Amino acid sequence: MAKKITVYALMAACAMIFGYIESFFSLSFIAPGIKLGLANSVVLLLLCRSDLKGALAVNTVRILLSALLFSTPFTLLFSFTAGICSTLVMRLFSGLKSVSPIGFSIAGAAVHNLVQLSVAALLFGRAVWYYLPFLSLSALISGGAVGAAALLIFKKLKTNAYF
Amino acid sequence: MLKKGDILIIASVLLLSAVSSAFIFTGKNTGKAVTVQENNSTVYSGSLFENKTIELEGNTVVIENGSVFISNADCKNQICVNHMPITAGGESIICLPNQVLVEIE
Repeated sequence: MAKKITVYALMAACAMIFGYIESFFSLSFIAPGIKLGLANSVVLLLLCRSDLKGALAVNTVRILLSALLFSTPFTLLFSFTAGICSTLVMRLFSGLKSVSPIGFSIAGAAVHNLVQLSVAALLFGRAVWYYLPFLSLSALISGGAVGAAALLIFKKLKTNAYF
Repeated sequence: MLKKGDILIIASVLLLSAVSSAFIFTGKNTGKAVTVQENNSTVYSGSLFENKTIELEGNTVVIENGSVFISNADCKNQICVNHMPITAGGESIICLPNQVLVEIE
């Protein structure tokens, strides 16, 4: 148990650092919110092991702490809803034999962007749907890239080295 | 490395972006009016071709020669300031921390 908590904490810390590094090269001049989503690789890694509880825990800790440190409580509304929804959807797809981490990473990224847009639409009105084509294309590219990275890491980590 | 399910997911995301762009970019009117909303209430509304600088609580919105951009924001992330100037109908710039929406209609 203690080992598990330590590994989760390490992973949450890793995810936060990924998110922090990412904030230095912002892609949001294309459309607000476009980013690589490197932090998601940690969640993907846990889902590769079918560890939904761990994935949700690590993602929640990452989102809450990142919001406290780097952003405002208002943006938490976006990151938290999207984070939880995308984790659940990724788990749904990761349970299927015909879907690789690349596939469920893309699905998760697309759902993440869809949920954020929905929240934004509730707050700002329909105008924000203008960004849907850009955000879904970016989900394809960045989700695919991060999924491929997670798959490589998962293969290298092999067996139960961490648990 | 890609499996059957992956291809299906990729295809549906591509379809989503194709359908949504078809919806958004067809019948797009040539935008001429700029509206600025702050906390869900309209604080400015005027022509896209009338040069103007609008000072809000935490942001500065600039309308200049048919394009609109946010030149200044008091938040950390500066997403709205880094956003490209908008010029066409339907485009918008959003500042989440200050709940500001700039839109061309």
